[in-house]
Amino acid sequence: MHSIMLQNFVVRFVSLALLSLGLAQTSGAAMIGTQQVVQSEVRDGRLTRVETILAREDVVRQLVAFGVDPLAVQSRVGNMTDAELLALEGKLDQQIAGGGGALVVIGVVFVVLIVLEIVGVIDVFKRV
Amino acid sequence: MPPSVSNYGPAPGLLELVDTPFYAQQQYQCGPAALMTVLTASGVTTTLDAVSRQVYLPARQGSLQSEMLAASRAAERVPYVLVPEFSSITGELATGRPVLVLLNLGVSWAPLWHYAVVVGADAVSEQIILRSGTEERRVMHTPVFLRTWRRSNFWAMSILRPGELPANPDRNRYIEAVAGLEQTGHPLAARDAWQAGLSQWPDDSVLLFGLANAQYALGNFSAAELGFLVILRNDEASLIARNNLAMTLVAQGRNREALEQIDTALNLAVDSPLLEELLDTQSSILSTDIDAWNQRGIGVE
Repeated sequence: MHSIMLQNFVVRFVSLALLSLGLAQTSGAAMIGTQQVVQSEVRDGRLTRVETILAREDVVRQLVAFGVDPLAVQSRVGNMTDAELLALEGKLDQQIAGGGGALVVIGVVFVVLIVLEIVGVIDVFKRV
Repeated sequence: MPPSVSNYGPAPGLLELVDTPFYAQQQYQCGPAALMTVLTASGVTTTLDAVSRQVYLPARQGSLQSEMLAASRAAERVPYVLVPEFSSITGELATGRPVLVLLNLGVSWAPLWHYAVVVGADAVSEQIILRSGTEERRVMHTPVFLRTWRRSNFWAMSILRPGELPANPDRNRYIEAVAGLEQTGHPLAARDAWQAGLSQWPDDSVLLFGLANAQYALGNFSAAELGFLVILRNDEASLIARNNLAMTLVAQGRNREALEQIDTALNLAVDSPLLEELLDTQSSILSTDIDAWNQRGIGVE
């Protein structure tokens, strides 16, 4: 009886000590700030805009013509960091602002190919 | 008291906030003078020296837009960056708020940046009236103004008292302006601003979340709890709301309920980027609460 209580105390003490050691290495519990939510909203909006451009029928057709799987492109875009996504969106915007019709499609597709090549996903240029 | 509006002046179609104060800029310091003008017009009591210290960067002989926003927040105001359209400026003027604008008086390859405050516009004679530099009432032809404003990508901001909404409210811009208040430790201003936002966009989950966070920061835990519950009623799967609800329960000494909330969240959080934060919250509750710890069956009894 006595020894069980002591054992119980020791187990609790050691467990808590270990746990607090672990906690010292993490960020600890915290309220999640509104800014964090805003940033994830901004990211979602950006993602939607980029994905809408990439899902255009003419863009998809051109990607396929280059031997690129449009689904792989979409999935890669979803895994981009915020900074990469911002850069991609900016470059796509430039292409779209820069002209109309077929030129835009070629521009968009090359931006996608170049950006994805930089981050090392496809090697269409090496294969060609 | 809102500044009085004169719209019957010498020219028809003129809208001018004649009571807007004027602070002449010193040397290159157009940023502090312009900011001082809009802050004072918004009822802030401060000095040009204090504003200069906050926004003027001597090495650049100027001020950055981000510094202007930060200094406004430090004065418990909501710095709202306007939708880049001319009607945004006239809309603000019509509600009695002068508008701080960034102009490029040079050319694109040799920019000459200048902050000024729009206090009036005359649609008929195409004139813009500014507090600018050392000129108390500078009149610019509207097309000239638009050209110089365009070269700054139409950057303009107005200063809202917490609780005021912009004349042409844009949800994302408003949220961004207010979220900064929370981050820089102005929960009272943030609370009033989120409440005003909810009158414009009722049931918006980000606004509700911001309001509940502000209530938490103010120590109004039961109001915060209610806020997070409202979000969860609309969206059971909101992990951020559940995490913060748990924190709010802990603040009220209700650790067992908090752990239940975290458990519910963890069940939904597979593959979520928030998983780590939820686990942190869980272990911190457990580490401070020996009874809850024991209940989990980790004790020997």
